[in-house]
Amino acid sequence: MRFCRVRSVAEAVDELSRWGTEGRILAGGTDVMPQYLRGEQSPAVLIDISGIDGLGGISDVGGVTSIGALVTMRRLATASLIALRHPALSQAAAAVGAWQTQTVATLGGNICTAAATADTLPALLIADAQLTLVSKSGRRRIGLEDFLAGSGATALRPTELLRAVELEPLGERSSEGYLKVARRSAMDLAVVGLALRLDVAPSGVIDGVRIAMCGGDQSAHRVSAAESALLGTRLSDDPGAFGEVGAVLADAVGSAALPEAQYRRRVLPGLFDRLARRCAGEIAGAGA
Amino acid sequence: MSALGTSPERSDADAKLRGQAVYGADLSKTGMLWAALARSPVAAGHLRAIDPVPALRIDGVLEVVTAADVPDWRTGVIVSDTPMLAADYVAYEGEPVAIVVAESRAAAEAGARSVAVDIEPVEPVSTPEQALAPGARLVHPEWNRFAVAGGADIGRNGNVVAEVVHDPGDLDEAFAAADFVVEGTYRTLRQYQAHLEPKMALATYESGRYTIEVSHQYPFRLRDRVAQILGVAPSAVRVVGHHIGGGFGAKLDVSLEAFAALLAQRYRRPVRMQHTALEERLAAPCRANAITAVRSAVRRDGTILATDVEIVSDSGAYANNGPALSSIPMFVFGSIYRVDTARIWTRNVYTNTAPTGAYRGVNGPWLVFANERHMDAIADALGRDRREFRLASLARDGDLMRNGQPLEQVSILREAFDRVDDLSGWQDAGAGELRGVGQAAAIWLTNPMPGHATVKLNEDGTATVITSATENGSGAVATGLRQIAAEALGLATDQVTVTMPDTDATGYDAGSQGSRTTHVVGRAIADASAEVRSQVLDQASQMLEAAAEDLVITDGVVSVAGVPTASVTLGQVAQSVTWTEGPIAAGASYVTPTPPHDPLCATGMLIKGWPTPTYHLHQAEVSVDAVTGHVTVDRYIVCQEVGRAIHPDAITGQIQGGVAQGLGFALSERVDLDHGRYVQRTFKQHGLPLAADVPRVEAIVMEHADPAGPFGAKGAAEPPVVPVAAAVANAVADAIGAPIDSLPIRPEDVLDALERTQ
Ligand SMILES: Cc1cc2nc3c(=O)[nH]c(=O)nc-3n(C[C@H](O)[C@H](O)[C@H](O)COP(=O)(O)OP(=O)(O)OC[C@H]3O[C@@H](n4cnc5c(N)ncnc54)[C@H](O)[C@@H]3O)c2cc1C
Repeated sequence: MRFCRVRSVAEAVDELSRWGTEGRILAGGTDVMPQYLRGEQSPAVLIDISGIDGLGGISDVGGVTSIGALVTMRRLATASLIALRHPALSQAAAAVGAWQTQTVATLGGNICTAAATADTLPALLIADAQLTLVSKSGRRRIGLEDFLAGSGATALRPTELLRAVELEPLGERSSEGYLKVARRSAMDLAVVGLALRLDVAPSGVIDGVRIAMCGGDQSAHRVSAAESALLGTRLSDDPGAFGEVGAVLADAVGSAALPEAQYRRRVLPGLFDRLARRCAGEIAGAGA
Repeated sequence: MSALGTSPERSDADAKLRGQAVYGADLSKTGMLWAALARSPVAAGHLRAIDPVPALRIDGVLEVVTAADVPDWRTGVIVSDTPMLAADYVAYEGEPVAIVVAESRAAAEAGARSVAVDIEPVEPVSTPEQALAPGARLVHPEWNRFAVAGGADIGRNGNVVAEVVHDPGDLDEAFAAADFVVEGTYRTLRQYQAHLEPKMALATYESGRYTIEVSHQYPFRLRDRVAQILGVAPSAVRVVGHHIGGGFGAKLDVSLEAFAALLAQRYRRPVRMQHTALEERLAAPCRANAITAVRSAVRRDGTILATDVEIVSDSGAYANNGPALSSIPMFVFGSIYRVDTARIWTRNVYTNTAPTGAYRGVNGPWLVFANERHMDAIADALGRDRREFRLASLARDGDLMRNGQPLEQVSILREAFDRVDDLSGWQDAGAGELRGVGQAAAIWLTNPMPGHATVKLNEDGTATVITSATENGSGAVATGLRQIAAEALGLATDQVTVTMPDTDATGYDAGSQGSRTTHVVGRAIADASAEVRSQVLDQASQMLEAAAEDLVITDGVVSVAGVPTASVTLGQVAQSVTWTEGPIAAGASYVTPTPPHDPLCATGMLIKGWPTPTYHLHQAEVSVDAVTGHVTVDRYIVCQEVGRAIHPDAITGQIQGGVAQGLGFALSERVDLDHGRYVQRTFKQHGLPLAADVPRVEAIVMEHADPAGPFGAKGAAEPPVVPVAAAVANAVADAIGAPIDSLPIRPEDVLDALERTQ
């Protein structure tokens, strides 16, 4: 296996086009290296992008949050801009692996591996993430929902590099959060991860709902059936509505017989209820 | 300054921190061959043929050795039931069937994977219940022909490897007199040691003798087992020990060493072997899974008239040390808490699963779990406070355990209940919704088996302790033994070195097990040091022209008491004596005498007494997440009696580590069996607790000097794992208001229990 270290996006896309399917990008390496050691992946060339300047920034671009592909989980978990505009992402990043993992694991790597248990994906989905992909022949933008093509599969072409992610920040009367259930307190993949963003009109009517989850065997996804069950209800309504939504979510998991799937189904209603109350409480608190 | 009760640096700390310490797994030799085992892929079946050809095609593979090429007798620690290589049938998944010899590790491992093993599978006997069912297939049809060490009658019968029966015959009467009966059945899974350094062996053969270099907890046992397997005299085998990367009981018996020795002789070249991560798991002598049914006859006033205990533990495919461990229930039930009479019936049974064995606190965690859950159940049935009921039921000094051994200092536990209460008052501990508190007590032994040490005064006035006591991580050798020698000789701890184990060079040592090193080897060192000291004083008295009784030794200097100017250094004494009388060295042995007991108390009992007992009380405070079923251990308190704390930091370190292992057993680790095969096959699936899952353990160390121990020390390292699962389960049950009678306590189990209470 060859190892090449690139210094710029231009160099990176050159190498990518040169090696095609033989090449593989290495960012933090927390997915690539274990896969290599287990013999699941043996690329001819590892293209190390960790030294590229300019892929590690978090910025505001005309009201939209732009995050470079090399931003680490630790940065996401501690950056104040993210905590303010994308609390769900901040919480999700803080739930990835352990501190050691978070220090090297990148957002780009989490997105491109697209594991069914990838913690940041639900948080990105509720912020309507748009990805910028670049290759020698130019650049394209794609929504994260379209990018994800089922457990581990993505729309990324072998010659493309993920450059940045753009996110729609939280609105005035909105709140969001991410909750993860795992068997241990750290270093464990999600049994289920749930992200919720709520927008509430001054009248108290919920006029925006985004729910996404990860865990199980499908890739992370929005759950529109659950979203529509909540849309148009009032915050002050009997929180029983949350229970209904939880049931819809549990159904969305399917009824696989595996113990892990049963456990996931079981915790989802309570988990949603907990998250929804938390978000609703934050909005009510902010409004008061 | 006294070396005791301080926490000097370990002799191996620097090398281990810098990665310079040479562990067994780091060893290599010029011209070394590698070998790997081909193992049975199925749990049970008839071995029809082994085709070596696919393996021999691999570049670098030299030979595939099968049962026909190796000794055909069976051996074992207690029951000689284990073949070196399976010959006509396999009894568990992972049983060795062939050895592949190769020029490289990669070739050996590839060869082992390629050997074509033709086995006609049969339905495995997968659980102890199946093994005991009427008409069950016999795991070993010829069990009756297996020899037992010393010809002991351990109650073997078909699939029953060992049976220990204690039955005073008065239970029916007691149950007839009871106001009510409390019963429970407690189930626990296996536990895997999960040490980091894999098992390995490096063997050479020269001039008719085998030398085995290894990281092993018990080099002398290894020597004897290799000799038994190869059919040679123990003196033809030399075992040299290196740094151990964790063992927790898994490195007490033979594993790869005899294979490597046999091949070293066959090829006249060094042979190295090492487990892969999967082999570690398949061949680990896990803590046995067990079912413990307990029934007590109780009077309304809280008197426990009788306890009836029936235990079935899973030995796996071979006996290993299960028959000895089957005595341990005799020291758990009807000991700490008073019962008028008890019947204790323990069976250890064969199944078609990997043989179980020793894991820190052998059998203790699940026995104490059953005993202490049962105490909570009785207290609940009586409507009594659980702590108050324990205190009321606590044995008194002089009460007898079931083996007739008096509990001489059990009142220490009463003190422990007070000390824990001072730290976290029982009334408030675990208060609040879905929060709970649980306690568990234990009396644990200090392993009594023999040790020897030679203490030699070096010519520069420092001392070397020559012993095969093994440093298995606890610091018992790296600090404790050095402190004891230093204290006895009047040296500083860093002026004492200890050798690594070598069975050719030292007296017998029974290995790193059961917290014995500090107590047993420490005692031998204290005695040998006293002899060295008296020789030093004789010489110094001549040099200083003063009576030996008037001399004191401090920090390596001998001086006349009250006349500090009249002094010689130990170096001067050593130099002088070496060239006049000859060098100073002295050896001493120690083995703890068996405590007084009733030899007729039970049949099949191989461990007769509970020597040098130590006293333990644990308290766990937990909260439960009603949504996820997750249990968080908010606070964990250990109150432990140690005799005398030689190295306080080492003791609290052992307490923290033991609790972490206990929490894994209680909450997150899983070793499930499905038709005899392990379900979890990687650490990712296994669920070891991590730093984030383990609270900082609060340790209260109590000292009650033991006259037989070196400066009063008893054992301390093994038992902190023992009461943990019991305390946690009691706390969870308290939090959710429903019993928790099986381990581990998965979140699903908590949710199930919560649903049942609603
Ligand atoms: C111990 C441990 C614990 C973990 N726990 C979690 C967890 O709790 N939750 C979780 O979600 N994940 C977890 N992971 C997985 C992993 O840490 C994350 O997926 C991480 O975000 C991957 O980022 P990376 O920078 O290390 O990616 P790398 O391993 O470098 O790359 C991952 C993949 O993405 C590709 N890639 C990376 N960057 C780009 C780019 N800019 N453009 C195109 N392709 C790219 C690589 O070619 C590769 O295919 C864990 C991993 C480990 C080792």
